[in-house]
Amino acid sequence: MPYELIATLMFATMMLMLLTGQRVFGAIGFVAVVAALLLWGDRGGFDIGFAAAMKLMKWYPLLTLPMFIFMGYVLSESRIADDLYRMFHVWMGGLRGGLAVGTIGLMVLISAMNGLSVAGMAIGATIALPELLKRGYDKRMVTGVIQAGSSLGILVPPSVVLVLYAMIARQPVGQLWLAGVVPGLMMATLFIAYIAIRCRLNPALGPVLAAEDRDIPLPEKLRLLRAGLLPLVIFAVMMVPFVNGWTSLVESSAIGALAAFSAAVLKGRMTREVFENSVRNTLGITCMFMWIILAALAFGAVFDGLGAVKAIEGLFTERLGLNPWVILILMQLSFILMGTFLDDTAMLVIVAPLYVPLVGALGFDLIWYGILYTITCQIAYMTPPFGYNLFLMRAMAPPEISIQDIYRSILPFVLVMVLALVVVMIFPQIALWLPEYIYGP
Amino acid sequence: MDGMIRRYIHAVDAINRRVGRVVMYGIFVLMGILLWSTASKAFLLPSLWTLEMAQFAMVAYYVLGGPYSIQMGTNVRMDLLYGAWSPRRKAWTDLFTILLLMFYLGVLLYGAVASTAYSLGYFGSSPFSFFGALAVGSEDIGVMERSSTPWRAYLWPIKTVMIVGILLMLLQCLSEFLKDVLLLRGKVD
Amino acid sequence: QEPIRWRFQTYAGAALGEHVTKPIIDYINAASNGEMEIELFYADQIVPTGELFQALQRGTIDAVHSDDDSMASPTPLRQFGGYFPFATKHILDVPVLFNQYGLADIWREEYAKVGVQWLSAAGQDPCNFNTTKEIKSVADLDGLRLYTFPTAGRFLTKFGVVPVNIPYEDAEVAVQTGELDGMAWSGITEDYTVGWANVTDYFLTNNISGAWIGSFFVNQERWNELPENLKQLVMAGIEAGHTYRNQWYWGGEARLRARGDKLELRTVPAAEWAEVENAAKEFWDEVAGEGEINAKIVSIFRDYNEVVNQAGPPYTNG
Ligand SMILES: NC(=[NH2+])NCCC[C@H](N)C(=O)O
Ligand code: NA
Ligand code: NA
Repeated sequence: MPYELIATLMFATMMLMLLTGQRVFGAIGFVAVVAALLLWGDRGGFDIGFAAAMKLMKWYPLLTLPMFIFMGYVLSESRIADDLYRMFHVWMGGLRGGLAVGTIGLMVLISAMNGLSVAGMAIGATIALPELLKRGYDKRMVTGVIQAGSSLGILVPPSVVLVLYAMIARQPVGQLWLAGVVPGLMMATLFIAYIAIRCRLNPALGPVLAAEDRDIPLPEKLRLLRAGLLPLVIFAVMMVPFVNGWTSLVESSAIGALAAFSAAVLKGRMTREVFENSVRNTLGITCMFMWIILAALAFGAVFDGLGAVKAIEGLFTERLGLNPWVILILMQLSFILMGTFLDDTAMLVIVAPLYVPLVGALGFDLIWYGILYTITCQIAYMTPPFGYNLFLMRAMAPPEISIQDIYRSILPFVLVMVLALVVVMIFPQIALWLPEYIYGP
Repeated sequence: MDGMIRRYIHAVDAINRRVGRVVMYGIFVLMGILLWSTASKAFLLPSLWTLEMAQFAMVAYYVLGGPYSIQMGTNVRMDLLYGAWSPRRKAWTDLFTILLLMFYLGVLLYGAVASTAYSLGYFGSSPFSFFGALAVGSEDIGVMERSSTPWRAYLWPIKTVMIVGILLMLLQCLSEFLKDVLLLRGKVD
Repeated sequence: QEPIRWRFQTYAGAALGEHVTKPIIDYINAASNGEMEIELFYADQIVPTGELFQALQRGTIDAVHSDDDSMASPTPLRQFGGYFPFATKHILDVPVLFNQYGLADIWREEYAKVGVQWLSAAGQDPCNFNTTKEIKSVADLDGLRLYTFPTAGRFLTKFGVVPVNIPYEDAEVAVQTGELDGMAWSGITEDYTVGWANVTDYFLTNNISGAWIGSFFVNQERWNELPENLKQLVMAGIEAGHTYRNQWYWGGEARLRARGDKLELRTVPAAEWAEVENAAKEFWDEVAGEGEINAKIVSIFRDYNEVVNQAGPPYTNG
């Protein structure tokens, strides 16, 4: 059987297995070992699954994963962000759509304190969402605000997705993280602009806060600004030593986790329950990631053994004879498409090794490409049918919000993200300027 | 019959829950190792063993914690179709697909056993009989595998932990399978 | 008829593998007239380097290019592959040691015991240092975190080096993320070829070994199955690869020291570096005491070293 056919078959079987609703890691792992056994038989077919475990062990940047996950849970479980939310609430409430705009601001700060988007989701859904609804904000808009805003968690550093990408593309995490800053802020600005325009056109979507709610003495208002210090401190404690090379990546992640934990303790928020939930959920989510990567690595090794990299290169460059930009756009489209169905980590571990060498060979910058990939992930997280943030939102949204509401509220934000993707594609400097400024070109 | 099934489910869930609840504190072990690494670098001489030790800790954390994560339901599924199905329909599908998942775990387990045998110096192709022979004393431990770091850690301990973890994972999946069986037989309270 | 297919994994990443392994594979594939098709995989592609040997025994991988040390060979030869401190001065010392002083027989025998066919060894580049921090004296080694081989690392801890072992392809990024201060892994040719010269600033011309010892291995059954003409062909391809590498490194080390513009050269005065060489003498004694085979190999090194010292330059210039 020609290799291309085997590869396609593997992919198709995996998709089918995923559709049955079995756990993602099981679906991928099963296809991987069966393919290995069929192709390699007892000449190694039995070992490839476990060899992946040893490879995984050696991927030391993954040590950051539980740290960042723990950080995120401590932040959301301890409700340390309540003050932050009040700050935005009071300062932005006077504008049309101001609370929604403030929510995006909140999400940016939370993104700077954790590496995933789950924490932002949880905080947004528990603190911001009820308030927004109570103040008469349009339910067709608000869930989108929270999903889109929280997805910044993987673009603004620290970012777990960029760590995973860094391992696969073999690019420095520091540069990648810095490359995410400006696009992240740009995207936040675009979200804000979108909200502002919508609310200007139709003030009923985001009414101005009632006067008595805003009538707060100035000193009090200024005092609230202090809440903004916490994220800055946590961000700095983690990033400054790292960017300066005083601590390594994995060490910085432990410092960040310690900082978030200490902040919660000092603020008296580290109750038994918060502690229990953070520790337990960190295990759960870390296991989810690790078992998926474990299975995907085995899948990837078989794929690699089939010579899929060469096949893809041959297909794009020789057989189709495409221009580099067309290839790049096709790749992004395929990522977006796959991302709607497939787990992003699995997608990264399986597909990126096929794409990245080609992207590099075509002369594109791999740091920049990491940002494109991350934005794609953000889109994947919230688009049906399969999206982690979507799952969470469906689980956490109050009953008056239907699935249809959620889907509809996402659409405009997805379009904004696609716009951002295009802009970063056309102007790579948006991503590359900061890392080049700090680390030199 | 049902009674036995129930007892199995009860026992396995209890064991895995306990194991999971112990290893979940491993996050602090990991944090401790990494912070020690930071501190030792800043103040004394950087230590040789921290990175590798952290890697071992991480493996123990996610492999031994796996079954508990299954219990918690954190291993995501693609719920495009699945999400809308009735509990019975879900159970029916899972009944089959979890066997495939268990097949994967079985292959993983075989690999782990073979690799552990290797780490004890067995170079043949029937690892299970090696362990059998080892147990009765007719086979000896050979060249023990050590990691290719200057710390030269022996690898059999972490590999053994992996065998245990994967085995527990298999037992947990069997428990999930049996829960579906009970549900489909209408034996769920 | 169907070609014989092998999966071959090399220790090197793609950029270096292009020179150290790929020419051999291309040669064999082209010359076998369709009888043989070897697929080449680079560092950690199919199995992680630490598992290479095991994978080779089982047949997950059919053949391997690596050194005994980094693939964690389960033989007493383990420490002598890669860079055994000051065992060699030049790239050609390696084939001489193997073919004229008897190492080849020892290697063949020891690997037969663990079910693997050893084919051939050759020298490559010396083990210099490329670092982000300047090394001007032996004392500057203290506290450096370096990517290096297990045995070289064990030796270098005598000077306060903190050896770090990570997947080959991750080393460059690890310098950028602060996990590493540099490498004690290669000569200057490799530094430029794989991109390490882009992330480090200094190159120390002193070395701790004059040539890397690397070997080609095949799964025993695969080798036995191979018809005689193809065995010859494989050996010829490997020999051709040795010749190519000899020139590539010999020329590259000179040219890049002289003309390269990415690394500044540093040299510790020979009189001071003698401290490191003397430490190696003790290290040899230490290792020789660990077993019979060890003692035999160390005595071969001593013997050859004596010959070289009596012969004088150019043999003695490291
Ligand atoms: N590949 C995954 N399993 N991703 C889960 C994480 C998704 C989540 N919304 C995040 O960024 O935080
Ligand atoms: Na972040
Ligand atoms: Na999606």
